[in-house]
Amino acid sequence: MMLHAEHLTKRFAGVTALHDVSFELRPGEIHALCGENGAGKSTLINLLSGVHPHGSYEGRFEVAGREARFRSIRDAAASGIAVIHQELACIDEMTIAENIFLGREPKRWGVWVDRASAERSAAEELAKLGVSIDPSAPLRSLGVGHKQLVEIAKALARHSRILILDEPTAALAAHEVEVLMTILRDLRARGISCIYISHRLEEVFDIADRVTVLRDGATVCTLEADAADEAVVVRHMVGREIADLHARSAPPPGQTVLTVVDLAVTDRGEQRLRDISFDLRAGEVLGIGGLMGAGRSELLMHLFGVWGRRTAGRVVLMGHTVPLDDPRAALKSGIALVTEDRRRFGLLLEESVGFNLSLSSLGELSRAGVIRGREEAAANTHWFESLGIKASGLRGIVGRLSGGNQQKVVIGRALMTRPKVVMLDEPTRGIDIGAKREIYALINRLTADGCAVLLVSSELFELLGLSDRILMLHDGAMSGTFNRNDATPETLMRAALGAAIPTRRQ
Amino acid sequence: MRSRLGRFSDLLVLLVVWGGLILLFGRLSSGFLSTATLGAVANRIPALLLTATGMTLLMVTGGIDLSVGSVLGLCGAVVGVAMVDFGWSLTGAILLSILLGSFVGGVNGLVSVKLRLPSFIVSLGMLEIARGLAFLTTHSQTKYIGAAVEGIGTAIHGWVVSPAFVVALAAVAAGQAMLSYTVLGRYLIAVGANQEAASLSGVPVDRTRLWAHAILGGLTGFAAVINCSRLGSADPNAGVGFELSVIAAVVVGGTSLLGGRGSVVKSLLGVLIVATLEAGLVQIGATEPLKRVVTGAVIVVAVFADTWRRRA
Amino acid sequence: MVTDRAEYRSDRTRVLLAIAGLAAILGGTGCKPAGGSLDSPAPASSGRQPKVALIMKSLANNFFATMADGARRHQAEHTADYELSVAGIKNETDLNEQVNLVEQAVAQGAVAIVIAPADSKALVPALKRAQQQGVVIVNIDNRLDADVVRRSGLTMSFVGPDNRDGARRVGLALAAKLKPGDDVAIIEGVTTAFNGQQRRAGFEDAMQAAGMHIVAVQSGEWEMEKANNVATNLLAAHPSLKALLCANDNMAIGAAAAVAAAGKVHSVLITGFDDIAAIKPLLADGRVVATADQHADQLAAFGIELALEALKEGKAGGDRTTAVDLVTH
Repeated sequence: MMLHAEHLTKRFAGVTALHDVSFELRPGEIHALCGENGAGKSTLINLLSGVHPHGSYEGRFEVAGREARFRSIRDAAASGIAVIHQELACIDEMTIAENIFLGREPKRWGVWVDRASAERSAAEELAKLGVSIDPSAPLRSLGVGHKQLVEIAKALARHSRILILDEPTAALAAHEVEVLMTILRDLRARGISCIYISHRLEEVFDIADRVTVLRDGATVCTLEADAADEAVVVRHMVGREIADLHARSAPPPGQTVLTVVDLAVTDRGEQRLRDISFDLRAGEVLGIGGLMGAGRSELLMHLFGVWGRRTAGRVVLMGHTVPLDDPRAALKSGIALVTEDRRRFGLLLEESVGFNLSLSSLGELSRAGVIRGREEAAANTHWFESLGIKASGLRGIVGRLSGGNQQKVVIGRALMTRPKVVMLDEPTRGIDIGAKREIYALINRLTADGCAVLLVSSELFELLGLSDRILMLHDGAMSGTFNRNDATPETLMRAALGAAIPTRRQ
Repeated sequence: MRSRLGRFSDLLVLLVVWGGLILLFGRLSSGFLSTATLGAVANRIPALLLTATGMTLLMVTGGIDLSVGSVLGLCGAVVGVAMVDFGWSLTGAILLSILLGSFVGGVNGLVSVKLRLPSFIVSLGMLEIARGLAFLTTHSQTKYIGAAVEGIGTAIHGWVVSPAFVVALAAVAAGQAMLSYTVLGRYLIAVGANQEAASLSGVPVDRTRLWAHAILGGLTGFAAVINCSRLGSADPNAGVGFELSVIAAVVVGGTSLLGGRGSVVKSLLGVLIVATLEAGLVQIGATEPLKRVVTGAVIVVAVFADTWRRRA
Repeated sequence: MVTDRAEYRSDRTRVLLAIAGLAAILGGTGCKPAGGSLDSPAPASSGRQPKVALIMKSLANNFFATMADGARRHQAEHTADYELSVAGIKNETDLNEQVNLVEQAVAQGAVAIVIAPADSKALVPALKRAQQQGVVIVNIDNRLDADVVRRSGLTMSFVGPDNRDGARRVGLALAAKLKPGDDVAIIEGVTTAFNGQQRRAGFEDAMQAAGMHIVAVQSGEWEMEKANNVATNLLAAHPSLKALLCANDNMAIGAAAAVAAAGKVHSVLITGFDDIAAIKPLLADGRVVATADQHADQLAAFGIELALEALKEGKAGGDRTTAVDLVTH
């Protein structure tokens, strides 16, 4: 057995990311790892590759028969495990050879880097992969596909026996995918094993020998690729959980508050959103789902005026076509955003609850530039109590609050501006179950008061439970719109994956 | 906001340090503990106070301005030329100086904000430019103004302090009030605490930073007039090294170079400490280079203490 | 990522443009000998007259403005004989700039350099190099250190006043207004400058002869603001101080401001040296007791004439001592 892991459990500050996970990798095997966002794939990989050192997790694993107790990534690399990340860990300014031998440069007399020797070895490694590139060329002259091959060459030059590839084809063109597949098959023949993480199930079934599905931090099953198909995997990924399916109590929908027509947005020259059209009515919750990178957060951020350049389409808010090109304008027009990463972009961690709560509304709470203390205190207290924020009063420092309470502060700040449309991006990420339920209740209250909500969530069940309608995005375009009653986890997941999946591979 | 005790403990520490310095120099120099020294320090303070107030506000946003010394020289030069060559009144010259200072500060701010360059670098360039302009304006010569400008620097009849001192204290009060009670003050803190989060909360980040730069410039403009009044002349070399004293005072006072937290009142104490330190060093006969070494060392120690405190 | 709307490519362009702009500006201001000014040679140059370069100390000091005027007037009266270029540095202590000015003068084809050096030793190597290229050197105002000059083999002539004697006479004028045993302090110039050392010695001569008690000697580096600081603290450190002898008028003005700020006008007397225009009002109301006129305009003129003679004769002339007059009102 190349790798054998059992009872792996990893916790982070109250959240259990992996629970009693077992995993096995044979020599010369390509083993795919599938699961929703947040299912635990990244945590598992980080654990196996030394990012989480021995002692920070429970359980054990062995590599090639020897127990692994990695203290760092270096230890893992020395044991033959290499990770090819989605964001390639390479240095554009250096040459290909330099990248391949980064940290392990061949030296003459122990001091001088032997460039010629490095380039020769690099050329050899690349040749073994069937590529002929000049190793003295700078890395930035290569396209993403070739850069990835250099990463693989780097891993092989270290005599890695286990390659972990994280969404390797996400940025590749079709022919580059073919090249990669050929190389992986070749590596398999040489006895090198791969753990292949991907959402593209057709690729998974093209290349993998076995598939393991993770869900909510636990192993669901491990299947032989021959004996399964995409539909089976999807069903396992999504599972069955009824609990929150009835969280929503919807008021009768009111007037249309937001209309988006044929929206197309680019960022840094790349087309990221296209042909997006939808309506939103007062009192309604429109859930937006999809995989990471599909454009969900980006859509919300664009509507708030902080991301992307519109190349086509219209956004009509409350009947007016407003140019929403900066947060101040957006807030003034009545649209508010609660961002995904509350610690980095949502809060001023060193300031008090009161400071954070009133920050977006200071214009209304002041006269001639001077803040009216009593009004501010009244507004802050109102939302503090209404949201049930648990802190040592308004003066409590936000950075010390729990995740749930921090989230309430961000939401409170947005709500204080009396928006007509509230956009929530992963509002319950990293929050305990009790606080989650409170936020669900809050969403219901909001819509009962006439607010409209755009909700982005990676948890399918949260989306299903809270939304009146669901819009699925795939790769920047709409891949499905569903009413509450029509949607099932499988149909949503399929829309997220972007294609109608045949029920049986040939 | 720290707990009440925390805030006072900072002030207490500063007062203790200041007291310690006074005792130390009192021992080292016989004439240190005297009304004459008090007067000397009191005269040094107004210019430092005004600029330190502005610098505090700017540093709260996470910015910094290294050109204040040169701006001091430039505004002083313009005041000299206006009053001597063009016969302007003192009031007119003061207004001109404040406007010019605000303008230069505004340029610093505009370039930092629009081109998204660190204010450190932009003000470094302005340091050279303003100094060069100061020399150009005066043809490199000192402009002797005389009694017309000395009024604001001399003690008011019957009082102990000069109009300059009163204005400086008023600026401190206004600065602290602004930071604590106005919308702009909140915005300054928010921008320094987390610029991205502030922007997403609807804070006009660019405009806030611009204001901070311009206010500092305007205050420096007034400080330039006070500086001229001390010597009765506009010296194009005025203010060389001034920025170090100002930054030292603000950092010693506890405002962090990283932004987000600051107190004008604590900067006042920082100014007292720095001014006392400088007076003491001259009294014990320290040379100019030694004074700069000590001031630099003080900055390093204060920054270290600040970082250490943040980590704790 | 969240708020960054700039395109990646324009990020780089923006930064490159900014750096280029900044470099241009810094380069531009640095192109001129940082703060030193070189003005164009006096008019009516056919290009065949010899170029004489006058290199002075701080242009911020009126003394040298007067000197420059004197030189230009001399040139205007002798346009057929030579071209003149006038340069100075931005403050009294920027030696690097002054060395720069010497080298630039040589590069521009000056056949003679008339220089008031900021430092009595540090300028010698540069002047020696200039001389090796055939340039005639005339030293005015502040004498170069004799030892260093001899060891370097530099040949030059000196035009200047007897600073020690002038300072002594200023000191005696002050002593007449004091009582024996009174405390006095000296604010000297740059400590390594010969003329500063001579003036200090002259003050000391006078004070000792009159029986005064010198409690402190500190350097104001010839600068007004520095002297102001020094004076402030001397007054605080020595409450019984009755007088401040300053080695130049700029420092005397700074000291006078300190005295006024301490509220001791007329109880602490001040002397200066140079007789610049700005000291006149202070002489008039008695805040400054005496100063000395070195005839800056003539200093330059004499220096230039000596240089022209040396050019004609092909060798350096002898030294010339100029007059110093006591000025009390």
